[in-house]
Amino acid sequence: MSAVAEERSGGLGLIRRRTRQRRAETFDRPRFLWIFTILMLVFLFVPVLVVILYSFNGQPSLVVMRGFSTQWYHEAITSGTWRGSLEVSIEIALVTMAACAVGGTLLAFGLDRANRHLARASESMLVLRLVSPETATAVASLLLFTQLGLTLSSETIVIAHIAVCLPFVAIVVRSRLALVNPELEDSAMDLGATRLRAIWLVVMPLLWPTLAAASMLCFVLSFDDFITSLFTSGVGTPPLPVRIYSMLRTGVTPVVNAIGVVMMLIAGGALIVALSMMRVGRSRSSLS
Amino acid sequence: MNRGRLIWAGFTLPGALTLAVLFIAPLTMIVLYSFGTVDFIGRPQFGHSLDNYRQVFESAYVPVLWRTLFYAAITTAICLVLAYPLAYCTTQFAGRFGHVIIGAIILTWLVDYLVRIYAWYAILDDGGLLNGGLARLGIPRFHVLPGTPAVLAGLVYGYLPLTILPLYAALTNLDRTIIEAGKDLYGTPRKTFWHVTLPTTRPGVIGAVILTFFPALGDFATAQFLGGPNQSMIGNLINSQFTDSGSVTFGSALTMVLLLALVVLLGGGFALRRLGSRRTTTRPVPNLESIGASS
Repeated sequence: MSAVAEERSGGLGLIRRRTRQRRAETFDRPRFLWIFTILMLVFLFVPVLVVILYSFNGQPSLVVMRGFSTQWYHEAITSGTWRGSLEVSIEIALVTMAACAVGGTLLAFGLDRANRHLARASESMLVLRLVSPETATAVASLLLFTQLGLTLSSETIVIAHIAVCLPFVAIVVRSRLALVNPELEDSAMDLGATRLRAIWLVVMPLLWPTLAAASMLCFVLSFDDFITSLFTSGVGTPPLPVRIYSMLRTGVTPVVNAIGVVMMLIAGGALIVALSMMRVGRSRSSLS
Repeated sequence: MNRGRLIWAGFTLPGALTLAVLFIAPLTMIVLYSFGTVDFIGRPQFGHSLDNYRQVFESAYVPVLWRTLFYAAITTAICLVLAYPLAYCTTQFAGRFGHVIIGAIILTWLVDYLVRIYAWYAILDDGGLLNGGLARLGIPRFHVLPGTPAVLAGLVYGYLPLTILPLYAALTNLDRTIIEAGKDLYGTPRKTFWHVTLPTTRPGVIGAVILTFFPALGDFATAQFLGGPNQSMIGNLINSQFTDSGSVTFGSALTMVLLLALVVLLGGGFALRRLGSRRTTTRPVPNLESIGASS
């Protein structure tokens, strides 16, 4: 018997409905959901806290914590090899970011406005690139570079990173571009602007915050990237994740934890900039 | 008009060409090398032999392939079950605090991938935090490293933020009124969830599956550091072919198997979805009728 019929039939249905409502409310704000969420946050944070804690370890162990010292930070900052890798990582991330910001924005305009076939073909390539496991694309880049006879170095890492990050910038900027009212551009052109001037003076100011946020995201992706960097690095100072990998394979001290904390601070700083940019973008989007 | 179109095509070209050169061309090389042979000093040669594929499907490697699929599937399932309630609670009940929670989750993801994996050593190792704590409580130590549970824990931990983000995005846009409509139609909480909440957030779930399953399928560092030889995945095989003294042609064939798994699973998923949507008409409008009718 359906619940509706039950209620029509009299008081019993009404009582049942009330108990059902009460149950619905407890499901609405159930305590177990909060407890679960808090447990999950603990699960997510314990390893991070462990990294931070062990970066102050008094003895050279990643398993047993005894004593307190800042020697690992000292080593991370003063040691030439770690500093060199940090600089290389930042350089790679900055170049990747700049290239992807320009290329990604152009691509976003193209996807939004070019011939439908061209746009669709480019877009499916972007999506395929995004879902392909990074191991496969990294190996593919390695094969291309060796086939072309390029020496593996920071330059090849940058080229491979651009291929990793470009789709993200293009897709994020394009989604913002789709929200820009085309009448704004048209009215600028009615007032005598050329198409390019209209884009530069009217559309781009609306896109800047999103573009900045996407670029920061790109910086973080490149800075933290391990798989692509591993396969495309060769001679010269390796970027941080690759150096951490070789250290984990040979001999490991809590200096990796200190490096991990330093990397988290750099990437976290970039992320905070990105999020505040996005907030600026949201408040501006009311204008368009 | 036509000239404008051409200019926009010009905008597309630098990015599209870059991707074509850096994505399509290398993939073509993988395809070519996977049919290739090795000359007498071990240099890869293009060819048309199926030996590499035969080697992949030799008995020694087949368990690795199944294990990879199994690990990736289990990881995705665990991640979804853990991430959905978290994302639901964060978007629906946390209010402004929700942004803080999601920011904190992203922050954990920013810790270097390898350092994060290695942190599990401090927790799970025989002399680590967990066993130390258990020993203090008088519970005997248990040995998990290296092993399958440790690898799964590492994979779940590694990809959980990627599962949470699309679900968070989908649940942020959840229209509360349709849940109330579901309840008004005498839907029990469980039924409202299965027939209203879950279907409307399906795009988020699909996004979460794609972002978790496929990266996990290609992962190798987790199995390398938290697992032993019995936990290696296809990524480990590929890695050792290309970075250690392995065979490029065999590695290419392995990569092709990985990519074919991607194409088959993604294509199959979309075909199923199309079938499903044809049967139940317009999605993602929730199926409110099915709630009241059967109770």
